[in-house]
Amino acid sequence: MSNNWEMVIGLEVHAQLNTSSKLFSSSPNQFGSEPNENVNFIDSGMPGMLPVMNFACIEMAIKTGFALNFNINKYSVFERKNYFYPDLPQGYQISQFEFPILTEGFINIDNPDNQKKIRIERAHLEQDAGKSIHDIDPKFSFIDLNRVGTPLLEIVSYPDLSSAEEVVSYMSSLRQVLMYIDVCDGNMQEGSLRADVNLSVRHKGGELGTRCEIKNLNSFKFIRQAIEYEFKRQIDVIESGGKIEQNTMLFDTSTGETRAMRSKEFSHDYRYFPDPDLLPVNLTQDLIDKVKTLVGELPQAKLDKFIKDYNVDKDIAKIITAEKQNAILFEKMISETDVKPKFIAAWLVGDIFAFIKENNLEVSSLNEKTKEITDLLKLVSDDVISNKAGKEILPRVLNGQGNPSDIVKELGLEQVSDSGELEKIIDESLIGEEENISKFQGGSDRVLGYFVGKCLKATKGKGNPKLINKILLERLKK
Amino acid sequence: MSEIDIKRISYLAKLKLPHEKEEFYANSLKDIIKWVDNLKMIDTSETEPLHNVTEKTTSIRNDEIIKINSVDDVLSNAPDRAQNFFKVPKVVE
Repeated sequence: MSNNWEMVIGLEVHAQLNTSSKLFSSSPNQFGSEPNENVNFIDSGMPGMLPVMNFACIEMAIKTGFALNFNINKYSVFERKNYFYPDLPQGYQISQFEFPILTEGFINIDNPDNQKKIRIERAHLEQDAGKSIHDIDPKFSFIDLNRVGTPLLEIVSYPDLSSAEEVVSYMSSLRQVLMYIDVCDGNMQEGSLRADVNLSVRHKGGELGTRCEIKNLNSFKFIRQAIEYEFKRQIDVIESGGKIEQNTMLFDTSTGETRAMRSKEFSHDYRYFPDPDLLPVNLTQDLIDKVKTLVGELPQAKLDKFIKDYNVDKDIAKIITAEKQNAILFEKMISETDVKPKFIAAWLVGDIFAFIKENNLEVSSLNEKTKEITDLLKLVSDDVISNKAGKEILPRVLNGQGNPSDIVKELGLEQVSDSGELEKIIDESLIGEEENISKFQGGSDRVLGYFVGKCLKATKGKGNPKLINKILLERLKK
Repeated sequence: MSEIDIKRISYLAKLKLPHEKEEFYANSLKDIIKWVDNLKMIDTSETEPLHNVTEKTTSIRNDEIIKINSVDDVLSNAPDRAQNFFKVPKVVE
């Protein structure tokens, strides 16, 4: 395979909106219920039922419009996309086609050495379909319509992406923004966010090739694998003299390969037309302005603030802003203490996140314990206890087993920070060490560590190491 | 007017037409389209597209859950069921 090929990728991302009820019906919009538990007569496509728009979906679409720099269209139209499939009882999907609610947006993604602007052609509201289960019975398919009518925002990018890394970065940036503005829970495993990948190959800078669409990828790992496989597949076809057929592909997660969906006798023709059950959506400027105030701070703004105003290192700030609940926890802690944000940030992404991971907790579960956490960090940053002692008692504090100063007293962990006392101990520990002292003065820094260790031991580990270090240096340099 | 691909149209509409009736339906459809084509005589170059004859915009409801029926109600018209699933002939893509 010659390596002057490049891939051209556009993404269609389906985001399930985290409303209480469905797009056009009052059934619960809920994952994991018993089969067909969340289905009413609108969802099951019974004749004579009238769909009625859920206001929350309009609000969420407008919020997304602001967050992804879209034109928010005051006039949009719902249309019927017609096709037959058992998990689509209406016989059509209500979607937006010619007049979508959002057009011409963009998002910036982080590449290793620069930012890249990914243009987004449109985003529109539509209904999700139900689920077919094929592996229970050899002869029959089982249908669960719970997902029918779940509100989706389909976000369609321009073909501006040119590697699996960029696609993953774009997808995770979208996910981050949608979670920040609270329109999608971002749970890819449950299908709350999934992508169709449109991929074609061409010689670098050459004319666009024929694209194939890989349907319904719901993890970053699968997206990456599917792209890498499909890229090679298309190049192989062309280099061995073949032609790429425009096809819809499925990704087989067990083999890591893509394959064309059973070829259709006839190409699809969705015969879109305006849904006569639904009138056009007209947004007032008033409503748009009101929703704008609900957007809140976006991840990029938070990242900039953490770096510039709070002096947090970029890599650490990125970890904290990656998920909205991290940022909420961090900002709550900052607001409750005078401990330096940078210090808090290091503890947060270090021991505190490690604790959360080990115990399989939600970050938000610590929102109730920020007072205790910052009290503990204050003890460490004021040198009342050592860093090591702080790490030791952190799990007890996070488990709610008492307040930090009580725990410190109970375990006798206070550091000796009385310089008079420390000076005495240090002077005693230097007695009989003439040989090592002259080694230090001869330039051997390693000896300093030996002395610090010796003094710490003499204080039973409770001496303030910073202070010991400082006094030792003064003594040794004499 | 373009030719009628009656096989494709019946496929899209999920209708099975007997072979000998295909021509009959194709001609009927042609007549209908010819009749609708009369609309093309009107010059609409200056007219905004109309999606609905009323001046109204869509009704909205608040995002509230209302349960009005049971699972059994929904499944009561199903030709076949298995536990609480609809059971249908196997359709696999």
